[in-house]
Amino acid sequence: MPHHNFADKQLLVSVRSKSFPKWVRYAMCYAVLIPLLLLVHLPLLWMIVTAFKVPGYGTKLQFIPKAGEHMYTLENFRQVFFDKDFPFYRFAWNSFVVSTGCALVTVAICTLAGYAFAKKRFPGRELLFAALITIMLVPGIIFMVPQYRLVLKFGWINTYTAMILPHTANIFGLFLLRQHIRGLPDSLLEAARVDGASEIGTFLRIVVPLSVPVMITLFLLTFVGQWSNFLWQLIVNTPDSPYLTLPVGLSLFQGQWQTEWEKMMAGACFSILPIAVLFTVSQRFFIQGLTAGSVKE
Amino acid sequence: MAKDVGRVRLGLRKPLWQYYDALWGYLFIIPFLLVAGVFLLFPIAYSFYLSFRETWLYSNWFDQFADMRFVGFRNYVDLLHNPTFWYSLVATFIYALLLIPTQIAAALALALFLNTKLPGYRTLRSAFFLPHVFDVFVVGIIWLLLYNPQIGPFAEFFKWLGITWFKKHGFVDNPYTILPSIAFAMVLKGMGFGMILFLTALNNIPESIFEAAEIDGANARQKLVYVTLPLLRPMILFMSVTGLVGVLNAFSEFYAMTKATGGTAFQFFGTTVQAARVSGFYLYQLFYDAFYGHAAAMSFILLAIALGITWINFRVLGKES
Repeated sequence: MPHHNFADKQLLVSVRSKSFPKWVRYAMCYAVLIPLLLLVHLPLLWMIVTAFKVPGYGTKLQFIPKAGEHMYTLENFRQVFFDKDFPFYRFAWNSFVVSTGCALVTVAICTLAGYAFAKKRFPGRELLFAALITIMLVPGIIFMVPQYRLVLKFGWINTYTAMILPHTANIFGLFLLRQHIRGLPDSLLEAARVDGASEIGTFLRIVVPLSVPVMITLFLLTFVGQWSNFLWQLIVNTPDSPYLTLPVGLSLFQGQWQTEWEKMMAGACFSILPIAVLFTVSQRFFIQGLTAGSVKE
Repeated sequence: MAKDVGRVRLGLRKPLWQYYDALWGYLFIIPFLLVAGVFLLFPIAYSFYLSFRETWLYSNWFDQFADMRFVGFRNYVDLLHNPTFWYSLVATFIYALLLIPTQIAAALALALFLNTKLPGYRTLRSAFFLPHVFDVFVVGIIWLLLYNPQIGPFAEFFKWLGITWFKKHGFVDNPYTILPSIAFAMVLKGMGFGMILFLTALNNIPESIFEAAEIDGANARQKLVYVTLPLLRPMILFMSVTGLVGVLNAFSEFYAMTKATGGTAFQFFGTTVQAARVSGFYLYQLFYDAFYGHAAAMSFILLAIALGITWINFRVLGKES
């Protein structure tokens, strides 16, 4: 993203004034932004602190142990990770498999189709693409009943297939890849063809290598989206399924142990912290992908 | 040329390689189209079909879907006569009114603050964006702890301010503050995402427009109201529409923050309803109770509402001025 920072002089509405030196203006901004940032991250901070507390302390608004008091521990993490009835290591693994599987399939089929919609001429192309884009306006929840029926019919209840496959036709992802591949010069594809490359060779050696950043973006967006998919994983798994994901596992855990906040927050950490780390190391791709869909040319 | 001979003999109007190209085009879209056809296109039609059928008392419960009876428009009529259904729409509407304008205003304010060379602005942008990628359900569970009247910090904070009402009634444990409380949590979670969208839009405004306004003697506030905001209109439209579809889809946050119940019960036109049973939750409830026909009919009502409001939004906000 290019940053023209004209805004410094134009958009800081009321704070901007010639009578304030720069550092006063900055201090005023921080005075608003820092408390707001703390509020935004209060759930994260509260979760982490509570997860480390000795059972019983999670319900107290006390953070600094008195002399000789044993207040913080790693025990909660150990217990929920290997819990007999709610094994969070299992939930985390399932979440990982489902998110990765869904992201891989999504990227593969969206790149293939994105290439065709961008560079191939075939009858019905525009109509088909317009029809797919229209589906993006449909609230996703209306697919719940018919998709459930299909999964039931195929006998996929309590399987990874049911958890992964129905969400891989990602129209936003198709749009993202198509926009990107449209921008690749035709001359490159022509050159490959002249050199005798096959259709698949052209795709694999020209299109894919040049689309890697967008593919990574789509992979990450899908991964994070599926990591947070609750409703679908709730309905295609029975409570005794071995394939429960983190949010579904946590919801069952909540039903059983409503008052054990320390353990619940430790369980929540398994969902939140990996995503926080993933985002921190790859934020460039996230932001690029999320803005690509909404910027009007 | 050999290629042309083939074309003439087969009676084709285009060079052969174009058919070859089209063939490969179809081959490349097949995997996507197969999944989209089975799990997106077919379900829309199938759902429409289901909305005219319903399970019944003597259904074969091992194969409910195959054993549904045709009931005509009864599912739709039932829903329209059901105060619970109407309340779900009212609750969704209230929630949307609480959430979407607040979300947009907060995101815009953040974007204006961070569209500067404020030291550390990149870190601040990322930090505000971060909660957007967290799992809604898990975040909802954490808010349940934060909102807990006995042990949560918010009730304690209000008590410190001298307001003990929340200590007694909680935030999500009474029908009056449950929707604002959930909306507040979701605004904090989503405002960073909106901020990024606004920052992108702000970057696309050519600087010359501001210079022109400056020459005309506009001050900072006038520039915001008469230049920046009108130019951000497409983005505001986009965010209202996606926000609306998001609210119609909203489920996990309600499931988490009401402990799967839909909230405290209260009287709505003589019927007991759950305070936070928004449309998505109501649809889930119909599904859960195996009223698949009603759930399908509900889906189509939601679809009609989504398309209707999208259209109105385009008419109102999308007008060129």
